[in-house]
Order: sequence, then structure tokens, then C-alpha cells
Amino acid sequence: MDSYQPEYDKNGVLSDTFWKTPQRAIPGRPLQTVKRTEVMSGSSYQQFQASVNDAWDLGDDDIISGIAETKISKAISQTAALNVINSHRNSSRNVNKNDVKVESEIVKPKAEAVEVKKNEVRKLGAGGSGPMRHYPGRPRPVRLSALTSREESSESKLERFQQMHDSAVIDLDDLKQISWSGIPVKARAITWRLLAGYLPPNAERRAETLERKRADYKHLVRQYYDAERDDDTYRQIHIDIPRMSPLVALFQQITVQVMFERILYIWAIRHPASGYVQGINDLVTPFFMVFLQEAAPGQELDNFPLDKLTEEQRDIIEADSFWCLSKFLDSIQDNYIFAQLGIQYKVNQLKELIRRIDLPLHEHLQTHGVDYLQFSFRWMNNLLTREIPLPCTIRLWDTYLAESDGFATFQLYVCAAFLLHWRERLMLERDFQGLMILLQNVPTQNWTDSNISVLVAEAYRLKFAFADAPNHLHNAGKSDR
Amino acid sequence: MGTREDEYDYLFKVVLIGDSGVGKSSLLSRFTRNEFNLESKSTIGVEFATRSIEVDGKTIKAQIWDTAGQERYRAITSAYYRGAVGALLVYDIAKHLSYENVERWLRELRDHADQNILIMLVGNKSDLRHLRSIPTEEAKAFAERNGLSFIETSALDSTNVEPAFQNILTEIYRIVSQKQMRDPPEGDVIRPDAEPTDVRPSHTDNVRKQCCQ
Repeated sequence: MDSYQPEYDKNGVLSDTFWKTPQRAIPGRPLQTVKRTEVMSGSSYQQFQASVNDAWDLGDDDIISGIAETKISKAISQTAALNVINSHRNSSRNVNKNDVKVESEIVKPKAEAVEVKKNEVRKLGAGGSGPMRHYPGRPRPVRLSALTSREESSESKLERFQQMHDSAVIDLDDLKQISWSGIPVKARAITWRLLAGYLPPNAERRAETLERKRADYKHLVRQYYDAERDDDTYRQIHIDIPRMSPLVALFQQITVQVMFERILYIWAIRHPASGYVQGINDLVTPFFMVFLQEAAPGQELDNFPLDKLTEEQRDIIEADSFWCLSKFLDSIQDNYIFAQLGIQYKVNQLKELIRRIDLPLHEHLQTHGVDYLQFSFRWMNNLLTREIPLPCTIRLWDTYLAESDGFATFQLYVCAAFLLHWRERLMLERDFQGLMILLQNVPTQNWTDSNISVLVAEAYRLKFAFADAPNHLHNAGKSDR
Repeated sequence: MGTREDEYDYLFKVVLIGDSGVGKSSLLSRFTRNEFNLESKSTIGVEFATRSIEVDGKTIKAQIWDTAGQERYRAITSAYYRGAVGALLVYDIAKHLSYENVERWLRELRDHADQNILIMLVGNKSDLRHLRSIPTEEAKAFAERNGLSFIETSALDSTNVEPAFQNILTEIYRIVSQKQMRDPPEGDVIRPDAEPTDVRPSHTDNVRKQCCQ
């Protein structure tokens, strides 16, 4: 790469070959999508893609490093192209040493690249001049840790979390930023409490807040659960809890089931607009597991007898799960109100989005009579908890909780990315039943955190392209079928 | 259309409805996969499965929609009644409330399903003999009064599950084939052999209109 000589054309401007995006697949790059969307002639999304085709990405940095050591004449240095290079020279140096890893380790950089993108957006997005000019992936300072191997990365990441947790006032934006690409197990419980808005960022207030909230919860239990209960609500919860994970010994313990019942019953009574809706029970589980993991570090949890913990420890798990669930659901309560309008709205958005970015898939589904509501309702209602293994759900929630504007919007893009992930298989299905059976039983049994990292990276890309440009979605309804 | 899996003479859409926890999903997995799944979580929205049976040398493909039992979900699930030619209305023989609610489910069908839908009342969990709270005769009499067919099943030990689905599908088939002999097809829901009868909630427009109201 050091031998690379930049080519200049007659005008002294860097020629096309330099600016052309590399043809190899780069995580997060929209190259494939460009091909796919060709069918939609003149779509604004396509124009958008075309306009950012020359955007830089991590893989371009090896090219830049060659330039950094090249002598350039004064005349040329005045060209716009060189200005760009100069402004990014520093950043590219950092990346240099790790170039090889960027190429060899495919999954990791994907996840980290998203972190990079987020930084970019946060900085530039404030300008408010639309996504066209701020396409993520242009060179910017990249932390070394972002490109090191997985173990080193998680160690140093843990350190960063610990440093942050120890600071007097935590910058939640910073915390969100490093949490978005996944939180190390040891830092997760505290980080989730912070991100959920349950634990205050101000260190001085933390202990006192926790104490008060946990006492409040005990009070709520006495007030609502230990008193006369609303029959219908309690009955439904009582039916659903035992069948949540009938094959996992942990959840067959009465102690655990009663904890879940109390959490859900109290939440439902305090949220009469929605009440308890089947599926919300699944949303307690990640919080419960993360706080249990904190109380029983390094233990095998599937068979963990909860009686091993002290009563105080159990109370903490329960109260914290309750408060975090409450905060978490605040941003998506319209998913659970009458007729579940929030979900119906999102399902329609999903349909528009897929029609926009993958017309062949959309038409394939439509031709065979598959309605989006039929498969994506559960995805949205249960936030994919039914579609992916629990450890993946927990990793996914790192990102949900770290979404700066709450994950209500992001959820849509995660579902879109999830659907697109299965597109090849779906296109092979030839009828309604085949499609529905696949969509209801997508094979994620062997998914790991890295699958989730890819999923959220793709979701992020979609959100970036569409969320700030709602017209992409609006126009879709008018111009296409 | 036209692939091998599509080789059937009739496609009938059937819905499974009834209170939460009465065993709708278990009946479905027993019938379509001959499994009793211990890992049977609550159904969210609607879930779908299919199985084909033979009647009079004709292949009948049953497209079965399993619905969530919670009342809250009815706004969503009722959208799926449209186009259904049969309904299995399930209660739990050991849970009196689930039986009491049968009337509400009937009203639900009257409001949202096609008029001619065939309804079978299904008392599930017949294996729970010692816990029975609804006598067979009582349910049978209720079914007769309301023009429903009736059967008791156990998804757990598979008693009567096969006959339950067989009966309702056969009955639908008889009505459809008689109707075809009486009146020529009108391109309505039920069509003759040339093309498979397709009664899925097709034409998604309908479904969409309903759920977006």
C-alpha cells in the first residue's frame, strides 16, 4: 500500500481511479443495495446512493496513508481534493497499523464501523443540512481499540466503561456511544440502569436514588399486589408466566415466576391505557437476566437456584427489573394501547421501507399474499425476543438502550434489516405457506453477538438513509404501487 | 403457484379461537406436526401452519391460523377471520370461565367472520378428567342449540385431535362441493377444480383495510 501513487489528471485533480470506491464488499457500504434498487428508476433513494458513491470508508484509509507520505506541489495542494486529504491526514495515521485487521476480520469492524458512524452523525448532524453531505464512513479519528482483536477490545472496552462509571457525572451521550456496539458483561447491569434513565448520571445521587426506588417498589407491591387484585389482569399474567420458558429450570422456580408476576402486574395496573399485553412478559426477561448475572457473576444461570441469593439480592433484581422495564416501555407504550396502533403504524412503515429498498422482495411477498402484519407483528410486539436466542436479545438491547432518541424509531429499521437478512431464502420460497412458515421460524438458533452486530449495523445504515428523510417513505406510496 | 407443494384441490382457511391458555397452539402442533410441544409460549398476534388431508380422493389443504387468546389482541386477530371457512372455538374443559366465554367468541365471529363459516366447539384437555368442570353433555347441548358441531379433544394425549380437524374440513368440503353442483362458480371464495380453491386472506387489501380503520 505504501507504493501506491496517487494519479492526477491534467487539471491536477485526483483522477477517478483514486476516488472510486473499492469493489470489494465493505461492511456497511451500500453497494449491493445500489444494484438492487436499480429497478426503481429515478427514486430519490437511488439518487442519494449515487450522490454518496464516492464517500470514504474505513477501507479507503490504506489509500490515504500512501498520500500522506507523498510530496505534493503547492498548486495541487490548493485543489479541493487535497484539502480533504489534509483535513483527514491525522486520522488516517491512526488507522494505518491496523489496516490488515480491518480486512481480515470481517465481523468486528462492521460493528465498530457503526460506532464510528454514530460519532460522525452526532457531530455533523447538528448542521441540519440533511444526510446527503454527511454520509458516514468518511475518515475520522478511529480509536485504536476499535480495531484490535476481540478479547483486547472487550478488555479495554470494559476499562472504558469502568472509567465512565467512576466519573462524578457520567456523560450519557458518551456512554450511549460506547454502549451502542455492545456492553461487556461486567459493565452491563450498571450501564443498563444508567441508559434506561433509572440510575442518575450524577454519582452523588446514585446510591440514594437506588435506595429510594427500591423502597418505592416494595411499597408498590404492598399497595397493588398484596392487596385485592384485578382478576382479569392477574389471570392473564398468571397463565403466561409459567409457559414463558418451560424448558429452562431457572424459570420453573416459583420464586422466579412470582417475581415476574409482581413486576408485570404492578406495571399493568399502573399503565391502564395499555394494561398487560401478552408479549410484555418477554420484555422483562433480559432485565431480569442481566441483574441476575450481576448478583451471581460467572454462574451458570439456566439452572441457577434463586434461593442461593439473599432476599435482599432478589429484591434488588426484582425492583431494578421493574423500574428499567417501566422506563424502557415508556418510549413504546403506543405499541400496547388499544388495537396496538403503534405497531400497526410501524408495520405500515416497514412495508413502505421494504417496497422502497427491495422492490423484488416486496413484490414477492405481495404476489404470494403475505401481509406484513402477519409476520412482523410479533417482531415488533416482542422486540424480536421470540425470534432470536436470549443472549442475542441481551446484546440487541445494549443497542436499543443506547439509541439516543429511544429505540422506538430504530426498532423499525432493525425489523427491516432482519427481514432483508433472510431475503435470499425468502426469494426461493414459491408460495404463501413456504414464506409464512419461514418468516415465523427464521433459523437463528446459532446466532451469536456478531450476528446482532451485523444486524444493528445494517439497521443503522437504513435508519441513516431514511429516518431523517421521511419523504423517501412518503413518496413511496405515491409513485409506486 | 404451480410448484409441487401446491398440488391440492381445495385450500380451506380455518381459524383457531378461544380464551388464552386453552390449548389452541397445542392442537395446531398436534395436528400439523403430531407434536405436543412443551415449549408452547403464548401466541402473539396470529401464527400459521398448514396440513393436507384426503377426502373422497381430493386433496384438501388446511391453512390454519392460530390466534392469540388475550382479549386485547382481538382488534388484530379479528382481521384474520375474513375468508375463513371454518373455525375451531376452543375451551378448556377444566376452566369454566373459558367455557363461559364461548358466547363472546361466537359474537366475535358473527361480527367479523364470513356469514357461512362453519364452527366447531372444541372442549380441549380431556385428559384432565379429575379437573373437569364442564360436563360433556352440557357443552354438547349448547353446541346443538347454537348450530355448532362439537368434540372433546386432548392435544396432550392426541385423543380426537385428528377427527376434530378431519370432521370440520370434510364438512366444509361437502358444503363446497354441493354448492358447486348447485350453482356454477362465480369467482367468489370457492372455485372448482381448475384452480385450487384459495381462501387465504388473500388480497391483502381486505386485511389492510380492516386493520387500519
